[in-house]
Amino acid sequence: MWILSREQNDWLSSLAGWQRIALAMLVCATTTLIATPLLAYLDLANIVMLFLLTVLLIAVSLGLKPALFAAFVSVGLFDFFFVPPRFSFEVHDGQYLVTFAVMLAVAIITGQLTAGLRRQADESDTEALRTRALYEMARDLSGALMVEQVAEITRSFLRDVLNANATILLPDGTGNLKACAGQDDARLQIEPRFALIAFERGTPVECKQLADSGFALLYLPLKSPMRIRGVIAVGPAVISADGKTAQLLEQRERLETMASLAAIAVERLHYVDVAQSTQVQVVSERLRSSILSALSHDLRTPLTALVGLADSLTVSKPPLGDVALETAVAIREQAERLAGLVGNLLDMARLHAGEVTLQKEWQPIEEVIGSSIKLLGRALAEHPVKVSLAKDFPLVEFDAVLIERVFCNLLENAAKYSPPDTTIEIDVKKRDGFVAVAVSDDGQGFVQAKGTALFKMFVRGNPESSTPGVGLGLAICSAIIEAHAGTISAANRTPGGACVTFTLPLGNPPAIEEEVLPQKMSVNRG
Amino acid sequence: MAETVSEHSPKVLVVEDEKLIRRFVRTSLEEEGCRVFEAGTSAQGLIESGNQKPDLVILDLGLPDGNGIDFIRDLRGWSDVPILVLSARSHEKDKIQALDAGADDYLTKPFGVGELRARARALLRRQSRGGEAATPVIEFGDVTVDFSRRMVTRNNDPVHLTPIEYQLLCVLIANTGKVMTQRHLLREVWGPSSVESNHYLRVYVGHLRQKLEDDPTQPKYILTETGVGYRFQP
Repeated sequence: MWILSREQNDWLSSLAGWQRIALAMLVCATTTLIATPLLAYLDLANIVMLFLLTVLLIAVSLGLKPALFAAFVSVGLFDFFFVPPRFSFEVHDGQYLVTFAVMLAVAIITGQLTAGLRRQADESDTEALRTRALYEMARDLSGALMVEQVAEITRSFLRDVLNANATILLPDGTGNLKACAGQDDARLQIEPRFALIAFERGTPVECKQLADSGFALLYLPLKSPMRIRGVIAVGPAVISADGKTAQLLEQRERLETMASLAAIAVERLHYVDVAQSTQVQVVSERLRSSILSALSHDLRTPLTALVGLADSLTVSKPPLGDVALETAVAIREQAERLAGLVGNLLDMARLHAGEVTLQKEWQPIEEVIGSSIKLLGRALAEHPVKVSLAKDFPLVEFDAVLIERVFCNLLENAAKYSPPDTTIEIDVKKRDGFVAVAVSDDGQGFVQAKGTALFKMFVRGNPESSTPGVGLGLAICSAIIEAHAGTISAANRTPGGACVTFTLPLGNPPAIEEEVLPQKMSVNRG
Repeated sequence: MAETVSEHSPKVLVVEDEKLIRRFVRTSLEEEGCRVFEAGTSAQGLIESGNQKPDLVILDLGLPDGNGIDFIRDLRGWSDVPILVLSARSHEKDKIQALDAGADDYLTKPFGVGELRARARALLRRQSRGGEAATPVIEFGDVTVDFSRRMVTRNNDPVHLTPIEYQLLCVLIANTGKVMTQRHLLREVWGPSSVESNHYLRVYVGHLRQKLEDDPTQPKYILTETGVGYRFQP
């Protein structure tokens, strides 16, 4: 290896066993030929050295077996041609026996050592080749953009380096493993059960029995940092002698390394997909939210002007004539209705877009009831509201602005669908860890018990009703209550009237420390 | 109501980018007997408030050339003229920010002429009363609060208030007609370390309503500004 160039080395290693031995004999004979004329100038000891060198060179270039042959042959040749009496195996001087023994021993030992070194060097050479191939595969995998590419790169690595055939199996949505596309030419047969076992347990499955009939020998799970992404089935490329399967099994560690590289590539592609879809989602969310806020501004501004201008007509000086005044009032009312509708629509869009983050705080529920009644003002003028609520009712956690919206919508509905001067009742009770709020009226009730349909968008109890509305109020209530992890339901009361009940979780309200009363304050109380 | 506009009529500055809104705000306030000046941008608004020294500023929070909150901070740097903010519903955060920056009250769009006039009147009244000595006795409904004797009576019966309840009532009355943010009230009554304990404030307001209002669930005087704070309205 160190003396011979690569090409020579390749030529030598291509020789069959007997050719090598013949070559070794030839080299020994050549040494004898070269040494014969030198005998006149050199001591026999130096001739021995020449033979030892020959054995060493043979060990290096041809391996152990030729070296051993060469060792024996060299001793024989040395005895025959150089030790007196020459051209006979007879030895007169007993000392030469020691020379032979030492020569043989040295030749065998050096031969063995160098041949061992040679083998190790060869092995590390192939090792280096395979490692480089593995590295190249890793590099290629890091550039892969599709799972099919990963499969192709893995397969070509196995084919070129380990002389093996492989198929990558990935889970489809239904819990089965499917060969990934682009591997149709694979002649490797797969036993799905083994693949599934490897996939589910995350351990390699080996099956020697079936390997000879064209089935895969090893099923390696594609274990990535997060989870198992699939299975790679490996088998020898040529179905033949048992030697091939054994060779492949020797490379098991390498195969597992290869499997984990492929797994990381598959996982990376998975997260690329996830990141891409998230980005698309983020962009569309942003677009939706900016459209919403632009809409909200562009719709509200003219509506504010419309309501204000119409209202200023109704109070203008000098006063308008009766007909004109009536018109002005009607314009204002319609504009207000439109404003309410736009508000509802925008709220609904915002709730659906998931843009609303609940500003939940612990608060007494009567506070938001009071503010909704005040907010509705004119709309509730003909309907007194009766609130029943225990005096020491616990605090409830909710978003005040949104729950106020719920109360406003429910009260507005109740006022719209019940005759003037009838009472609207709000009843607040504790019920199984929830606070249950019932808003009921004395109107005609819901046309039919539609269950949850009433809480869908644009569904009205009576679609042809002359009472204004588009069927958004209850849908918004439902969306808000759902966001609070509560429930909402509608029913008719006996003898008559509608009743909408919603619940909110009670939870554990924070403790309020009692105020320490100083004595001097008592003076102020009387 | 047709009051004549004179040298002594209150001056109102309307800072709003929408011309039609400015127009009806102007007509309705002029009928109240105010002299009205208009500005379409916040920069122009600041210049006008310097030139005209208005008695009331009506400010739209959504101005095209900048943040209404910054306008309030700038103006508050050298003037304590009352500021009435106009803002859309569901923008409670903006309202709280505006109030904390120094605004006095807000109106939610869309609003009617009646509401606008009532708010403007209340703020102008506060402004003109600024110099007068505070009266020691306040009456609302059937409740009388005598600050000099630290005594509260309802229908001539004494009402027992705890020190915190009394202090809360004092702060609310001292800012009559003005929206007080929860943070502001907590700081005034409980101290600066308690500005996050909103539920305390709510519970004590509830106590006050129980003791002073006819129907605590539908209060007439201690009003809730949902998501923002409270207002005392005698």
